[in-house]
Amino acid sequence: MCGILAVFGCIDNSQAKRSRIIELSRRLRHRGPDWSGLHCHEDCYLAHQRLAIVDPTSGDQPLYNEDKTIIVTVNGEIYNHKALREKLKSHQFHTGSDCEVIAHLYEEYGENFVDMLDGMFSFVLLDTRDKSFIAARDAIGITPLYMGWGLDGSIWFASEMKALSDDCERFMSLLPGHIYSSKQGALRRWYNPPWFSEQIPSAPYDPVTLRQAFEKAVLKRLMTDVPFGVLLSGGLDSSLVAAVASRHLAGSEVACQWGSQLHTFCIGLKGSPDLKAAKEVADYLGTRHHEFYFTVQEGIDALEEVIYHIETYDVTTVRASTPMFLMSRKIKSLGVKMVLSGEGSDEIFGGYLYFHKAPNKEEFHQETCRKIKALHLYDCLRANKSTSAWGVEARVPFLDKEFINVAMSIDPEWKMIRPDLGRIEKWVLRNAFDDDQDPYLPKHILYRQKEQFSDGVGYSWIDGLKDHANKQVTDAMLMNASFVYPENTPTTKEAYYYRTIFEKFFPKNAARSTVPGGPSVACSTAKAVEWDAAWSNNLDPSGRAALGVHVAAYEEAVDVEPANLMNGAHPMQKGF
Amino acid sequence: MCGILALLGCSDDSQAKRVRVLELSRRLKHRGPDWSGLYQHGDCYLAHQRLAIIDPASGDQPLFNEDKTIAVTVNGEIYNHEELRQRLTNHKFRTGSDCDVIAHLYEEYGENFVDMLDGIFSFVLLDTHDNSFIAARDAIGVTSLYIGWGLDGSVWISSELKGLNDDCEHFETFPPGHLYSSKLGGFRRWYNPPWFSEDIPSTPYDPLALRHAFENAVIKRLMTDVPFGVLLSGGLDSSLVASITARYLAGTKAARQWGAQLHSFCVGLEGSPDLKSAKEVADYLGTVHHEFHFTVQDGIDAIEDVIYHIETYDVTTIRASTPMFLMSRKIKSLGVKMVISGEGSDEIFGGYLYFHKAPNKEEFHQETCRKIKALHQYDCLRANKSTSAWGLEARVPFLDKEFINVAMAIDPEWKMIKPDQGHIEKWVLRRAFDDEERPYLPKHILYRQKEQFSDGVGYSWIDGLKAHAAEHVTNKMMQNAAHIFPHNTPTTEEAYYYRMIFERFFPQNSARLSVPGGASVACSTAKAVEWDAAWSNNLDPSGRAALGVHLSAYDLQPPTTGAANMPSKIIHTLQGINEVTTAQELSIRS
Repeated sequence: MCGILAVFGCIDNSQAKRSRIIELSRRLRHRGPDWSGLHCHEDCYLAHQRLAIVDPTSGDQPLYNEDKTIIVTVNGEIYNHKALREKLKSHQFHTGSDCEVIAHLYEEYGENFVDMLDGMFSFVLLDTRDKSFIAARDAIGITPLYMGWGLDGSIWFASEMKALSDDCERFMSLLPGHIYSSKQGALRRWYNPPWFSEQIPSAPYDPVTLRQAFEKAVLKRLMTDVPFGVLLSGGLDSSLVAAVASRHLAGSEVACQWGSQLHTFCIGLKGSPDLKAAKEVADYLGTRHHEFYFTVQEGIDALEEVIYHIETYDVTTVRASTPMFLMSRKIKSLGVKMVLSGEGSDEIFGGYLYFHKAPNKEEFHQETCRKIKALHLYDCLRANKSTSAWGVEARVPFLDKEFINVAMSIDPEWKMIRPDLGRIEKWVLRNAFDDDQDPYLPKHILYRQKEQFSDGVGYSWIDGLKDHANKQVTDAMLMNASFVYPENTPTTKEAYYYRTIFEKFFPKNAARSTVPGGPSVACSTAKAVEWDAAWSNNLDPSGRAALGVHVAAYEEAVDVEPANLMNGAHPMQKGF
Repeated sequence: MCGILALLGCSDDSQAKRVRVLELSRRLKHRGPDWSGLYQHGDCYLAHQRLAIIDPASGDQPLFNEDKTIAVTVNGEIYNHEELRQRLTNHKFRTGSDCDVIAHLYEEYGENFVDMLDGIFSFVLLDTHDNSFIAARDAIGVTSLYIGWGLDGSVWISSELKGLNDDCEHFETFPPGHLYSSKLGGFRRWYNPPWFSEDIPSTPYDPLALRHAFENAVIKRLMTDVPFGVLLSGGLDSSLVASITARYLAGTKAARQWGAQLHSFCVGLEGSPDLKSAKEVADYLGTVHHEFHFTVQDGIDAIEDVIYHIETYDVTTIRASTPMFLMSRKIKSLGVKMVISGEGSDEIFGGYLYFHKAPNKEEFHQETCRKIKALHQYDCLRANKSTSAWGLEARVPFLDKEFINVAMAIDPEWKMIKPDQGHIEKWVLRRAFDDEERPYLPKHILYRQKEQFSDGVGYSWIDGLKAHAAEHVTNKMMQNAAHIFPHNTPTTEEAYYYRMIFERFFPQNSARLSVPGGASVACSTAKAVEWDAAWSNNLDPSGRAALGVHLSAYDLQPPTTGAANMPSKIIHTLQGINEVTTAQELSIRS
């Protein structure tokens, strides 16, 4: 990842302003530790902090077209940049950077080229000929992007809120799949896939098509000039990513540079279920596996920094981001700059436990659509910002545009959880990789659920967080919570605790509005809470209780057989 | 490098205090991006930000003795740790970290072990038996360290000023070569080498002894488990470092892990003299050479960040730190975590141009002693903080304790600059590496001066800085400078500009007192200004004018290779980046 910051029309091109922009851009330096650049054109500034993944030697930004009339600052990876370069034969490229195509595509196609980009990206482009600009964000919002307005009439864009929150009167998260054009003065959605309408699709399930689409998604993400690895929690999603990556690594360009043995990474409290599961998968695949341990105290000590980086007070996101944040630091210290990760599968296939209660395939499908649309507020945000905090880039093959199209066109009847037919959650995905001749994963891994009640990284992590919050937040504080925090009022001490930290870093109204709230059970949307009347009485983000699981069971031994599909496994684990 | 922060005896063990210590420790995160640790014992906190160079997998800090009653947070490298471990056979070590020995040495020897450590270090050790603590800094001050006192009676110790300046009522630079003991309630100098008294030594010059001492100093600094390289400006000092490293790399553990080909790095404005010289040396040595180019605008844009990191308003230090700061970022982005660098040679051998005017060997020697003692405020500070800003560690073999002892025992008569005898500056060093059979460097490099009037990184760098400062500092501001900044009053627009930035980041009185000032010419100490009556009339940190150089000559084209025949009187600019006079045919055989 890189960090971008752009300011347009600030009626001030003094040295003081330049210094201020440089200072604000430095707040994004963790995203791009390798180099920084600033282009100033009259009262327009485009700043960049670079993490060099493709063409480290010459790809410093901002990037330009031939005559430098068009300037772009980009955070992203354009996987099809070579194919696009082919289409732009008449253009001369300055660098080998994958992002340089953006300036030339704009020259060629105007503002309507964004859908041609296959990848993840946030960018801001300035056309100095008429001082117009556009800003765009990738389809699902894998990369973050915020937009703000200054009292002086300026418009701001930044990869993270912290770069513009102090200087803008108002700001918001720029919606994924959208483009802002200064000529139109408005946002427009450029991403219009068939599934977006939420109509119920009818394509029959074809396991081989699904498999091939995913393999392609992984394969195109092996484009890198620097060392990389896979985040492996040992769950289905990350194990599939690792299996496919390790299978295709040998033939790829990157293997020539960095060796064909895949590195895999896992974090947990000592003895945690994830560590055990990941080790098993790593052994099977023969990867070079790295285990990292953290203590509850280390996690708690990191909380402030985590919230500063991820810019949310959403409880499950904070819980899940902390281990990922700690792990990213260790990964980076090994010299690894990019990792593949398994986010998105639970949204696309309805992998969350509450999907067991989906009343019919229509509701099931619409909920998956809603979940994908909200990813940028949750798991994409977590995966991107937890890793970017240490200059590590996370790539998420499940959120490949093509793959989503294939997976979301399947008749949702196939995705429904049908214990009577032996279909557990994400059965369509599991079955697609069930290859007897040339197995991707051993059957028991391919079809296993996570350990019961697992927090993944370790049983005592979430309890430790709650205990800590209980010590810091008094009953009186919680009682007054709705007065202190009328918007998205925290309902638990843990939530209250995170909220106080968030407010310290981001005190503006606009900041708290960028974080989603509302009723939810076990990560459901508000709508899905209606699926079970009992839920509305017991909302808890982890949903242990709400899903009908005996809370006392949590205290029981670790290795309980996951016989009860309605267990309280928390979706946080899918991340790693 | 790592970053350390210790807060001792603050009478507060609350969560709020813990959070505050964590927050302050994060200000040092650039020094140690790889991991962090915090140990709390009652109202004592030891924090650490780690750059993992030795034993990346298990050496996280703070470190402990066997029963965890003694905790240490260390920034440093102990080159003789394996030997020290041998002496501590009855102790059990938890990690492979070189710094692990400190806790055990304390157990064994009490507070008197610091001189046994060979390396660069700053550490704080807490003995929980009686809640006493000690803090110490290496002999010369290669690593940075500050100490402060809070109104609550607390003592603070931090690798950088920014770790404690907001929470201390008073703070100061921790003196190098010293130990602070809570039992004593004060400082004690543990570093007592023969040269410290500034008595004039009489050992005759032995080129081979000097050579071997320096080779040893370089070799012991090849201890690393991570990729490394050398900073190569193409001047004498960095070229010698590169040459020796390239020669001895093959046999080391580092080479087995990371390949036997040495990486070298140079920064400059495009077409700068350093880039050209360094390339020549790199080609000769066969290193994998990396050139980084920056523009004057890149440099100016970085100035605020540079001053925040290096924590000084000293003009020459800021000028020289900026390119080093920019280069360090690029070096780090290549995955390199450690570099060997040539600081210290000019102080030990009197390599600065004003040494031409030293009236006698006594004055010459005493000035070298004063310069070495001040290194921690200038070149050590620059080398350490410019690189640490990006999680890169700089090692400086010229400041090896053994090597300094050897070099400072030489009768200074030999170090005196005597153009009539062909002794140019640093002649004793040049000649020590003049080996006909197996040359370390080609003769013309071994004896060459830097290009005339070189700013090293490029001719327009310093002019660009001055022009930029002149745009932002008005005459009125300069007129009032003495009232605004009564201490170390800036006398140039450039100095004023840097000072404003410094004051913004570090507004406390203690902060401005931590930076040296006073009269100086071309990096001399105040004392040496007396060597030439003319100097006192024209003090300028770069000393171009003061040293008798025609200013307009600065605009001339850089001389071509014929520079070797420039008259010996010609003297020029920047701090230590220059050597003068003619090449000589001198050699020794080993």
